[in-house]
Amino acid sequence: MTDTGMTATRVLELIEAYGGAPDTWPEAERAGAQALIDAQPEVFEAALLEACRLDGLIAVRPEVEPYTDLYERILDDAPMAEVRGRSGLAWFKSLILPQGIRWPAGAAFASLMIGVVGGYAYASTGTVESFDQIDQAYGSSFDLDAADDWLNREEGA
Amino acid sequence: MPVIFRVSYRMLGDRAEAEDVTQETFLRAWKIMPRWQPNAKFSTWACTVALNLCRDRLRKKKPVLMDEPPEQVDVALRPEQALASRQAVSRIEAEIACLPIRQKEALELCAIDGMGNIEAAEIMGVSIHALESLLARARRSLRARLKQEMDQ
Repeated sequence: MTDTGMTATRVLELIEAYGGAPDTWPEAERAGAQALIDAQPEVFEAALLEACRLDGLIAVRPEVEPYTDLYERILDDAPMAEVRGRSGLAWFKSLILPQGIRWPAGAAFASLMIGVVGGYAYASTGTVESFDQIDQAYGSSFDLDAADDWLNREEGA
Repeated sequence: MPVIFRVSYRMLGDRAEAEDVTQETFLRAWKIMPRWQPNAKFSTWACTVALNLCRDRLRKKKPVLMDEPPEQVDVALRPEQALASRQAVSRIEAEIACLPIRQKEALELCAIDGMGNIEAAEIMGVSIHALESLLARARRSLRARLKQEMDQ
């Protein structure tokens, strides 16, 4: 057992459950487990190797992207039809980017969804803090790598 | 890619169905939005809804009975060639699809980038301990079934 309370048995359990990549292990246990592995690599070598092989097989499956019109279909369902108009987009931007900071490259859908939902939260609570919470939560739900295109297209239309 | 679509696709294995589930999840989101609690995490809520919708769809599907295991990968191929081949991918997908549904859910949720074990357990409505048990059983089962590929 180490200073962190981590044991060899627990490290093997982590490998058995989460696989051979430490970044997939629970954050709270990661450092302790890694320290134990570094101290006694021979104890964990076989388990790590086998787990990494399986990780590789699982990861070989290709990612599938949704058809691009899925985003627009979802937005079509949104109750706030006005957000799709030019004035709505401007309002969106002011809400999403109150400081004028751009999202990372490729963030249209995420930004839009954050705006739709953030709008509700902002209207219902009137606090910037609550919007920030929504912003963070929703931002974690979407890939930010596709988004500016949509916004730019809507603006340019 | 929205995490909701990824979860749905991994569970259902069909793009059109995964898109339907994603759209249905957001329809439900729009309905509850006026009553939304800002301190709740949307991705957790949405993945839970999507997972339930996937379960409903899987229940309605006729069970696929497999008398024989999926076709084996051509052992004459070098490992990197075999893994790159569609045949190998199909076999891996088939073996994951054969897992008990709760094991599959645990495996797929935890395979998503940024999805921690706490959130995965919350989405599934199980404890961390139960999640780890499901994951370990899933991986043990896959190791046994994919032994040939593992040894290459």
